[in-house]
This record gives sequence, C-alpha cells and structure tokens, in this order.
Amino acid sequence: MNHSFIDEHSHIDSMLSRLDPRVKIVSFVVFLFFIIFTRSDSLLRFALYGLLILILIGLSKIPVYYILKRCFVIVPFILMTSLFLLFGNQGATFTLIHIGSFQINVAAAGWTMFLSVMIKGILSVLCLTLLTASTPFPQLLAALENMKFPKLITMILSFMYRYIFLIEDEAMKMWRAMKSRSTGGSRLLRLRAIANMIGILFIKSFERGETVYLAMCSRGFDGTLKRTYHFDLRKHDLAFLFNISIALISITILDNFLGR
Amino acid sequence: MEDNIIKIENLSYSYPDGNRALSDINLDVERGEALGIVGPNGAGKSTLLLHLNGILQGSGKIKIAGQELTEKNINLIRRIVGLIFQDPDSQLFMPTVFEDVGFGPANMGMKKQEVAESVRRALEEVDMLPSIARSSHHLSVGEKKRISIATVLSMNPQVLVMDEPSSNLDPKHRRELIKLLNKLEMTKIIASHDLELIAQTCSRVVLMENGKIISGGTCPNFLAEAALHC
Repeated sequence: MNHSFIDEHSHIDSMLSRLDPRVKIVSFVVFLFFIIFTRSDSLLRFALYGLLILILIGLSKIPVYYILKRCFVIVPFILMTSLFLLFGNQGATFTLIHIGSFQINVAAAGWTMFLSVMIKGILSVLCLTLLTASTPFPQLLAALENMKFPKLITMILSFMYRYIFLIEDEAMKMWRAMKSRSTGGSRLLRLRAIANMIGILFIKSFERGETVYLAMCSRGFDGTLKRTYHFDLRKHDLAFLFNISIALISITILDNFLGR
Repeated sequence: MEDNIIKIENLSYSYPDGNRALSDINLDVERGEALGIVGPNGAGKSTLLLHLNGILQGSGKIKIAGQELTEKNINLIRRIVGLIFQDPDSQLFMPTVFEDVGFGPANMGMKKQEVAESVRRALEEVDMLPSIARSSHHLSVGEKKRISIATVLSMNPQVLVMDEPSSNLDPKHRRELIKLLNKLEMTKIIASHDLELIAQTCSRVVLMENGKIISGGTCPNFLAEAALHC
C-alpha cells in the first residue's frame, strides 16, 4: 500500500538538499532561536524572517503548498495554547468580547502576546518542516548521531520510520476485513471490534519486535547500532551557515534601527 | 578440515510453553551441499533453522565447521551461518537498503570503506545495486526478498539458511529467485513447502514431521514420497 512520507520531496536535487545535513540542522536550530528570542512587538523582524523562510523554500524547490499543508496540521495546536494568552493579561483594554450577558476583557498586552506566539509558532513550524522535508530521514538521523545526539533516541526514531507504515498497513487490512464483514450491527458492537483491533495491533507489533530482534542478533547485533554514513563538510556548507548567520544578524540590526 | 560443515547430534527443544518442537534430531550437512527441509506446517522446520546460529539453544550438540556451538563462540558462528527469516519485513529493519545490507558487516567490526564495498558486492550478486539508496518500505516483495538475501551475503557466510524463500512470490520472481539460489555456491539449507523450488535448487532432502526427521533421500526421487506428507 502507498503512503505519503515525511521526506517524500527530499530527493529533489536542490541547493538545500545537497547541504551537509549537520549544517542544515545547526542553521535551522540557530534560526529557531532567533525567532523564539525576538521581542513580541517586532513585527518587522517577523516579516523579514518570513521572507527568509520563503527564500529558503524557493532554494529547496519543494512545492510551497506542500510545506504549508504540513505546517497547518500543527497550527490548531498552536492556536489552542496561545488562545488563553488573550484573556490572562491585565492592563489597558484592547477590545471587549460580548457573549450573551458576559463581557470578556482582552488586554492590549494579551493581544500582542497572542499574536507573537502565533507568529513565532508558525515560523518555527515552517522552519522545521522545511528541514525535515528537504532531508532524507535516514540522513537526518545519521547527522544527529554524528552530532552526539543520544543513540537510543535515534534508534527509536529509526525503527519508527521503518515500521510505522507497516503498522498502518496492518491496521488498514484489519479495518477492511472488519468492514467487509460488518453489515449493519449496532454501533457498540463496532466500537468493541475496533477496541479489539487496537489490542491485536499492539500484540502484533510486540511480536514483530521480537522477530526483528532475533533477525538483528542473527547478524551480530551487540546492543549498539553502527552507522555507516560518511559526512564531509565542504566549502558551500560553511558558506550556507555563514550566509544564514549574516542574514539573521542583519535582520536584527535593521530592526533595531528602523523599529524604534 | 571436516567435510561436514554442520553436524547435529540428538537435538531436542521445547518452547517455554511446554510445546515440544524438536525431538532427537540428527543431521549432517556436507560442505557445499544444498539441503532441502520439507514437512507440513508445525513440523519444526523453522525451529530447527533457528538453532543453526544459536538463536534458540536446545539440548544436544551442534557443531558448525568443526566447532561446537556455545555461548562463547556465538558471534563467530553467526558469521559462518547466515540466517534469512521468512518475512522480509522482519529481516529488513534499517531505514535504507544500504544501511540494512551494511548492518552485519558493521557489526563484524569492518571499517566504513570495507562495509561499503561488501554492500556493493552483495547487492550486485542479487542484482539490486540500483536500489542501494532506497528505503526498505518502498520495495516490492520480490525486491525485499532479494535484499534480504544480500543482507546475509554481505557477511560472507559459509552457510546460507533460508526459511520459505519463495513465500508470497509471483511465478516470475520465484523463477528469478531459483536462478539466484543456484548461482550461489556456498552450502545452502532451505526449508520450504515449495517442492518444485526444492527440486530445482537442492541435491538432498529431509522430511520432518512432529519435530522429528522421519526420512530423507536424494532430491528428485525422494520428493515424490515427501509430497504425500506435506
């Protein structure tokens, strides 16, 4: 069965996909920090960051709608967490919301906080989406491992990447088998069947884990996964890191001059 | 050097739930021989195969290439005996084909360069070199089977042990698999229900039933008799 993959566009040959994944991780994490530590009223800086991300998306040759689609899956979560900021603040009233006989006070400070968290959230997610979409997932893992990220976590992610679709397939097969035999019947009955399916899926995954472990032992597994990737840092990688840093610093300086 | 690369004496095994899977197995396999193991479902074929590289350890004696299999030399034995599981989704667990085929060699302590070389050699042997950078979950069943074989070939084993290599394969891929198996010159042990595949790849067959080897013989003649049992 076919699935969409988190790195389905990562094989597009572009300036961004040719970069050493380690450089990409460092650059994007630095970018993230710049976004997070921006003062909440610096709208100009946010706009410039957005522009920079757009340029990077352009360089990656990944369709913009794909990045946006992936990004907007997460937007409701950001919205949910930032919504409370609207009502938590004291101070000058920005607007009043009337719900029936209730009146809710939205403070100006709360409104700015809400906006900045939303913008920061969306920009950060765009950044990370671009990073994961432009790098083949196995390379991303190898790069993390090369940068001394805990091996246990990269191993878990690696197995997740390999087996999540298999589990999805199994779930889909069971779902189809259930549907082709369920003609009518009460909702409760169907709910019970679904609960059983989830249980079986757990058992199947557990058993799969056992056989995979045996297969690993058969080939000499001794507890540590040995990566065989080889990275080299080339000139254009360093140039990219340099350019991104310069761009981020210039945005900060520009904002300090114009924004005051 | 001994002629028998595998020598099994009085091997018995019960699963933890008490189910007796193997009883009193005696089996010799000559170097370079291709041995087929046939028998009905639940006869103990897979359990026997899992003993050949020490994944399961029952009572009795197993000698591989002249050395008795013990906890101490298990890593050495696993280099000699390459075991391929029936389900390629269990055999292929790394994110890319390259990493999967390189998994064994990397565990053997090879350097990166040597790992890359043995991966290329193994993939070339199974005609899958162009897929080296692909993800395992994008492969078809036939391709997965081939890569599964490569994951073991990259370790340069002396014995290739396979459980149901032709399951879920269409006739075309099955024919290709048979051709591939005949091309490989090391000792082979193949457990299968596919009697035709056994006939075309093996020189000797043993028949298992209820955890015992009940008879055996040379390939074309004996298979007709074995067919009645499975």
